Amino acid sequence: MPLIELRHLTKTFKGKTQTVEALRDINLCIDQGDIYGIIGMSGAGKSTLVRCINYLERPTSGNVIIDGKDLSTLTPKALRQLRQQVSMIFQHFNLLQQRDVRGNIAFAMEIAGAKRADIDKRIDELLELVGLTERQHNYPSQLSGGQQQRVAIARALATNPKIILCDEATSALDPTTTTSILNLLREINQKLGITIVIITHEMSVVESICTHVAIIDNGSLAEHGTVESVFSQPKSKAAKKLIFRKTGADGGIIGDRMIRIVFEGNASSEPVIASLVLECHVSVNIMYADTRDVGGKAFGQMILQLPEDKLQQEKIIYYLQSKGLRVEEVDGDAH
Amino acid sequence: MPIEKMIPLMLEGVRDTLYMTTVSTLFAYLLGMPLAILLVLTAPKGLRPQAVVYRVLDAVVNIFRSIPFLILMILVIPLTRLIAGKAYGSTATIVPLVIAAAPYVARMIESSLLEVDPGVIEAAQSMGASVPEIIFKVIIPEAKTSLIVGATISSGTILGYSAMSGAIGGGGLGQIAISYGYNRYQTDVLFVTVILLIVLMQVIQIIGMYISRKTDKRIRE
Repeated sequence: MPLIELRHLTKTFKGKTQTVEALRDINLCIDQGDIYGIIGMSGAGKSTLVRCINYLERPTSGNVIIDGKDLSTLTPKALRQLRQQVSMIFQHFNLLQQRDVRGNIAFAMEIAGAKRADIDKRIDELLELVGLTERQHNYPSQLSGGQQQRVAIARALATNPKIILCDEATSALDPTTTTSILNLLREINQKLGITIVIITHEMSVVESICTHVAIIDNGSLAEHGTVESVFSQPKSKAAKKLIFRKTGADGGIIGDRMIRIVFEGNASSEPVIASLVLECHVSVNIMYADTRDVGGKAFGQMILQLPEDKLQQEKIIYYLQSKGLRVEEVDGDAH
Repeated sequence: MPIEKMIPLMLEGVRDTLYMTTVSTLFAYLLGMPLAILLVLTAPKGLRPQAVVYRVLDAVVNIFRSIPFLILMILVIPLTRLIAGKAYGSTATIVPLVIAAAPYVARMIESSLLEVDPGVIEAAQSMGASVPEIIFKVIIPEAKTSLIVGATISSGTILGYSAMSGAIGGGGLGQIAISYGYNRYQTDVLFVTVILLIVLMQVIQIIGMYISRKTDKRIRE
């Protein structure tokens, strides 16, 4: 049984003049122990989606089932208790400005009704885990963004949740701090077995820690699966758009014939392009190349601009296929 | 006026003015605080939106805020008699002072409470906090500094009202200024009361700002 199940989830916002369909028929299963990335362009509906998981936003229709419990059937009190099992961290940390680090972590436990002595003990453990013991009496305004997010993570862990929802948790941080926060989240996932749902617009976040990914486009679920499968063979337009977003090869692609080749496993260590040029006596233009390490498996992809000559084009494609590489035509969808 | 008469008169005036101001501020907060919390809760974007309740409270506050204080004082004379037994003197003046100040205080508190970062409130909700917990553990403590600043401004305003009440039988420095300075042309008395009112206002302001600065944790050290 999945830990989180979304069934036919829709959310519609009714304004005075217009109605916005933020989510349309989302179906998704997230298993215990997954680090599930939900990615989409801004305005795609991913923030609404994550808020439906803990019912901060009530879906217009459809069901959210967490650990076998359908949230729509819960009383307000039972829902508040369930939320202690589903913590959340935010882009802007959302710490209490008038409480110090200890006070912020204590807050989550006070809400959960913990005893003072237990609170103090647990705070010590959590401070150690997030590496902020020395900062325990500081106030949020005295901390850097990364430190504040660590406090938020400690606060999220305070009630021993099963799930942590991250809403753009690294978007306000610089790249180095982002890496350290993501490492901390991975550590929490591996050590404590906590399921993590990450909402982001940054592909690099998904690449670096997620096991699974769902792509949200204009309120609908465009594609989902393991990160390797979605990244190596994106099927939907939205997925291709996100994965190729960093190509920077926008100009000049259209009109000329382009192919995308995908390397998986061993193939990425062979000097395929060099051999191609030498053996076929052709020249190709590398428009984009990227090798990624996803979940321990290396794969890469490259976009080649082929020469005008049709015969040469066929020769190149034949050669690459003979090397066991997947070759795809690149059309306007790629950007 | 000779100095040996002036001093006891002024001491009495300061005492009565402080008495009216502090007691009125206290009662105004006792009424204004729940009113402000209700306004914030029932607002269209509040935690428990209640359009009808909100509109009624909002209108009541606006109506009381738009009646000039002196006129309000006259309007509520029957009520003042009922509560205080008479319609003149310091204690009696507290009744109209509270009625005038409570809606003002409610607006001050409301604006302080609305300043709290909605993200922090959302975070509390995501942890399973109930509405009372959000009000008393999140919104009010987070708004603390702004509430203290508001209280400083409000008590300053109430001090001003209390002096104004001297015109129609209120006590304190205002009454002294009117009866000696205006009715009997004793300009020296008038000047002294004005100076004392300025000093009182300064003292309130300095104390309020000091406390708000001391208790604010948002300032980087």
